[in-house]
Amino acid sequence: MKIALFIPCLVNHMQPNVGIATVELLEKLGHQVILPEGQTCCGQPMTNSGCFEDAKKTTLKLLNAFKGIDCDYIVCPAASCMIAAKENFHEFDCSPEATAVIGKLKELTEFLHDIHGLERFNKPFNHKVSLQMSCHGIRMLDLATPSEIKGSGGYNKVEALLSRIEGIDIAYPERRDECCGFGGTFALDEGAVSGKMGKDKAQAHANTGARYVVGFDPSCLLHLDGVIRREGHPVETLHIAELLNQAL
Amino acid sequence: MSSRDAIFAALDKCNLPDAPMPSITIEPNNEDLMGQYEANLTKVGGTLVRVKELSEVQAHLDKAMADGQSVVCRVEGLNGNRELDAKPHTLQDLDLALIDAEAAVAENGAVFVRETASGHRVLPYITENLAVVVKADTLVANMHEVVKNVKLESGQHGAFIAGPSKTADIEQALVIGAHGACSMTVYMLD
Amino acid sequence: MALIGGIESHASAAEKFNRDVDRVNWHDKALWNLRHKRDLAAESQPEWEDLKQLGSEYKLHTLANLKHYLTEFEANCKKNGIVVHWAKDGKEHNEIVHSILAKHNVKNLVKSKSMLTEECHLNPYLIERGIDVIDTDLGERIIQLNEQPPSHIVVPAIHLKKEEVGELFHRKIGSEKGASCPTYLTKQARAHLRQKFLEADAGLTGVNMAVASEGAVAIATNEGNADMGVNLPKVQIHCMGIDKIVPNMDAASVLSRTLARNATGQPITSYTTFYKGPKEGGEMHVVLVDNGRTKLFQDELLAEAYKCIRCGGCLNTCPVYRRSSGFSYNALIPGPIGIAVSAGDDETHSLAWACSLCGSCTQVCPTKVPLDKIIFKWRRIHSEQGKLPYGKNGYMPWVGKFMANETMLNLGMASARTALRILPDALMKPFGMDWTKHRELPKAPKTGSFEAWFKKNRENK
Repeated sequence: MKIALFIPCLVNHMQPNVGIATVELLEKLGHQVILPEGQTCCGQPMTNSGCFEDAKKTTLKLLNAFKGIDCDYIVCPAASCMIAAKENFHEFDCSPEATAVIGKLKELTEFLHDIHGLERFNKPFNHKVSLQMSCHGIRMLDLATPSEIKGSGGYNKVEALLSRIEGIDIAYPERRDECCGFGGTFALDEGAVSGKMGKDKAQAHANTGARYVVGFDPSCLLHLDGVIRREGHPVETLHIAELLNQAL
Repeated sequence: MSSRDAIFAALDKCNLPDAPMPSITIEPNNEDLMGQYEANLTKVGGTLVRVKELSEVQAHLDKAMADGQSVVCRVEGLNGNRELDAKPHTLQDLDLALIDAEAAVAENGAVFVRETASGHRVLPYITENLAVVVKADTLVANMHEVVKNVKLESGQHGAFIAGPSKTADIEQALVIGAHGACSMTVYMLD
Repeated sequence: MALIGGIESHASAAEKFNRDVDRVNWHDKALWNLRHKRDLAAESQPEWEDLKQLGSEYKLHTLANLKHYLTEFEANCKKNGIVVHWAKDGKEHNEIVHSILAKHNVKNLVKSKSMLTEECHLNPYLIERGIDVIDTDLGERIIQLNEQPPSHIVVPAIHLKKEEVGELFHRKIGSEKGASCPTYLTKQARAHLRQKFLEADAGLTGVNMAVASEGAVAIATNEGNADMGVNLPKVQIHCMGIDKIVPNMDAASVLSRTLARNATGQPITSYTTFYKGPKEGGEMHVVLVDNGRTKLFQDELLAEAYKCIRCGGCLNTCPVYRRSSGFSYNALIPGPIGIAVSAGDDETHSLAWACSLCGSCTQVCPTKVPLDKIIFKWRRIHSEQGKLPYGKNGYMPWVGKFMANETMLNLGMASARTALRILPDALMKPFGMDWTKHRELPKAPKTGSFEAWFKKNRENK
């Protein structure tokens, strides 16, 4: 398939390795990868603060980067940015072209699980990982059944994908999908609470004894990485794209 | 404009999109109702005593009275040692009240008690210990089923009671006997 | 919705609360324990999600047809001998309650837990007029003696430790000094309040549900205090927001299955009582209160906040509430539902930002109130009114321009990467501001931007 990448600003500027792993793994799976020009940001920092007017130009710039691009899917290795883009595109542009773009948006895990149907890996990954089930990915994007939902029929696309890798040992922190406290500008607006949430989450990950905290949201991982290094926990963050790429 | 009219006028301006009245299509779980009931009554702090005859309940009352307890019995055919006074306040030193319950609910251990059974509305709450007699054939799976069976008459009071009075308001430590009865026994009559 | 009247932002109050880490951990754990018990109770019901859906649909249907159901409720109440009163705001509500009490020369009033009367500030109103008002729910009595508002809508004294309650009871009701055993303290309160019940001239309660088809109100308690309170004296008064109406007993059956399970993990409260008329020789009054509700009903999304059945589940699951406690919110009702119903009146403009938008509240809610969407909307409303907290009015337009400008963004981020890479940590930390109070700055990538890598390694190949 032909995949257009949606690379959020955070990945582009601070975690290029996540983007590189995304490209490499998609290519290993036989897809053609392109990077439409002119992407900056989905507008989430502004819309999460209620500032829709301030977000408009940024969001439309991103949307326009994808309009008319010939591709099967637009794939993004960041659940939160993907969701924000989807909602913000709807907010500012109802044209058929915008709807077409929105219809092609897929988060990386979602794409690999639902569309590509990734079943087989070539290399083992002999480490224990603690999964960072980010809020937007599970409660808005349905990557896994949130812990609040009860009754029958739970699913977990992240675990389903990773469990196919030989040697991997998957663990979850206590309170498995409690927020890590990043929340964009929340981390600055509510510094004390955000910091405490981050500390508690990092501790819970460390308590699993895992070598890596693996997640699909670069922003949560950036936050956790900062806390983990501050607290000196013997665990490292790793984006799911990097893990999958290593196993292919 | 009266406040009633003002509120209605404000509601007229609301224009919330209509939503249809739902209907309940949940299948009752009728598997081992008695087992479910007992487990849930125990969970809420009550005690189930299964009896074949009412006379077995009388034996329990007799024992309580022999121990010096004051007992109000509102169940026909059984006897206590105390009658209701005109003023319910005097019941505050009552040891045990026995009343008829009309239905039992497996999913939560509750029974339904109405004021015609208790005489004074306050009786099931003010008594130190509460006991009810309920017929096993009134046991249903859940709240949806039970509300079909118990109809409140105009001017009436009726209560679902599930176990003794309790609280966890101090550091979430469960304490039985906050303001109402400190124990609840359900005599389930087969 | 009523506010406590503070002017401190949530972040500032929360920062103070967070200075005592042990207390934060204790509070967090206590509330999470409720969430955990809720999970077990919900899991035991295979139809749990169906019950949530039904709860939501019944409430949406009722809100959309509220005038019809209020009319039906009022007519049926009259048939049952219940006097119905209407109050457009808290002030009128208080006047109505006082007039009923004054007519009967009531000196001693026993109350059971009612967030509505807290919202209307009924207690001080009545106390000023010479009425001895006693809150009878143990948690409410504790905070009444401690002269505090509730810090949680279901467990109002959750912020206090048992030693603190022991000390308070020693001072106020003469329990033994140094006692902290919850059973002992509860028994002390039982004896103290039993006397108040027996002396009361009138009983007042909140309402969990008012059943339109029956003309009855339902009250759920674990302690039995509502029933002790209203069943002894001649006069009983039930105060309710107009959102508390349900159409019929089927709807009541649905909400009675989720309310206690979602609140404390119990299958049902010890007592769920339906009052369909006054006791023999007694008087029963119901006061229906608007107090800002119809204002929120004007907005389709905000109106959904009033699907709430006040189980407190969203507070217990909220990672922010658990780590900031109820008193950090400039609102009588804290936590997600408190933000949803109070943010419009919040003069600190910070309530709507006391949230990381994690969405757990929305998922935990037994009537599917879209709390995170409502909070998100309040932020937008604040922004449109130019009432943003934490300096956002100043910097957000700048961020908007920066993000929309590739050249500026690329240059800015390239310098940031370089600075992070080459400058010592100590020099960089001040630039991190609040970030570096709790976390290290991000490690700069060794390469340049991803885009540069892609151009070099893919497009130019």
